[in-house]
Amino acid sequence: MAPLEPWEKVLVDAEAFLATDHGELTCIECHNGTNVSNKDEAHAGMIASPSEQPDVYCAECHEEESAAYPAALHATQAGYWTTINARNGGIPEDHPALEEMFGNHCASCHTSCGECHVSQPKNVGGGLFTGHVFEKTPPMTRSCTACHGSRVGNEFLGKNEGIPGDVHFREARMSCVKCHEGAELHGMTETAAGAEHRYSGAEDPQCIDCHQYVADGSDSIEMHAQHGDGTELSCQVCHSVTYTSCDGCHVAVSETSGNPYFETDATYHTFFIGLNPIRSEDRPAKYVPVRHVPVAPTSYEFYGENLLRNFDVLPTWVYTTPHNIQRNTPQNASCEACHTNPEIFLTADKVQAVEQNANASVIVKTVPPAVELFLAAMPQPAAHAELVSDSCVACHETGIRNSPMYPEDHIGFSNESCSGCHKLP
Amino acid sequence: MDKRFIAGILLAVGVLLSACAASVEETPSVVETPVETEAVVESAPDASECLACHTDKQKLIDTAKPEEADHEAESKGVG
Repeated sequence: MAPLEPWEKVLVDAEAFLATDHGELTCIECHNGTNVSNKDEAHAGMIASPSEQPDVYCAECHEEESAAYPAALHATQAGYWTTINARNGGIPEDHPALEEMFGNHCASCHTSCGECHVSQPKNVGGGLFTGHVFEKTPPMTRSCTACHGSRVGNEFLGKNEGIPGDVHFREARMSCVKCHEGAELHGMTETAAGAEHRYSGAEDPQCIDCHQYVADGSDSIEMHAQHGDGTELSCQVCHSVTYTSCDGCHVAVSETSGNPYFETDATYHTFFIGLNPIRSEDRPAKYVPVRHVPVAPTSYEFYGENLLRNFDVLPTWVYTTPHNIQRNTPQNASCEACHTNPEIFLTADKVQAVEQNANASVIVKTVPPAVELFLAAMPQPAAHAELVSDSCVACHETGIRNSPMYPEDHIGFSNESCSGCHKLP
Repeated sequence: MDKRFIAGILLAVGVLLSACAASVEETPSVVETPVETEAVVESAPDASECLACHTDKQKLIDTAKPEEADHEAESKGVG
């Protein structure tokens, strides 16, 4: 997005603005300052972003949004702190350094009401959208993807060369807010209110909000009948395509200019299916796409030693929901495109040695076997439902208690894989 | 006696009526204090001074402060 000239950022379209409800207010009612023609005098005491105080300047008309928004993720940036604190280990003496780092490199992503509804976000240079006219629906490319651009925006809009944009944009021309509604963005839904991370709680929005027929099996697509209940695969496992991953981001303050800056070691395109590191009743899929985030053990070393001392507590290949959904993808072209295809799974050989421990929860040890093997697999005896141990190999490796020993081609399969084929009746 | 009494009553009533008449006449003068007029006078130039500048492209160009360099200009790679 091209930056605006300084004058463009503050040019008011009087005719358009004065015709709106906000145009009925005087400038000073929201922005303070003084009503004189001299610029410096006029701007003395001016409030450039009144909506940083929604309770004072917005609540009179937008009561519910103003009450909820200060606890929404765009305002709190809680997701940043959730992961920073986890990887730091919650060491209180590290916090001054981490807070300084956060202030220099992360805090500019905090978003006020006005940065979605009247101007471009400040971390892309700011500037009024349309002559100070407030937009109920933020303009997607000047607001949403202005910040969420390098990954979500490029994927959704099809800006990665050779990779088509998301079908919801490419064919349906849907904008972000078609799925991510105001209530969610304002922190007014049960999931979004006071969320600790964007993947906290239940999925919201969910694909099945619109594609209900997939979950109830009424669309007669065999793959949906086999996998559509959501307990094995997230929708993106079959319907997203290659997306952006990054490595080794380091932050520092320039010795020459005194400005904060960052350096990322590498950016590349991947599509890997991993084990779901945040599997829960809310997000039950066993397999999800995983994206490499650019954190490294030394990312914050400019600000202090060993600030990410608990680095291995979270994976660096993280749960992701790529925004480049396609109906037809390489991996859903046939059963074999996924089953027995190690290329698309995050196996240990694809993970850097120093990150093996951090990613132990997402690395796929056994690629799903051929479909024929699934179909031929004998079911577990019903009595196995009452077994306390979940270690299949404890009995089936040695054949104790007359249990059948698994065949040679099962060597290397892990316990977590057994029930994928050998279902309970 | 009666005439004097009646004249006294009439005089008293007259005084009372004149008092009422006076108060009725004074009420509008209280309402007409210039409070609201002053408020209107204040808000009119408020809009015009701010908008006069912020709708004038050339004036904004002439008076714009040079922008600080992009804080992330020294960054490398995808953010």
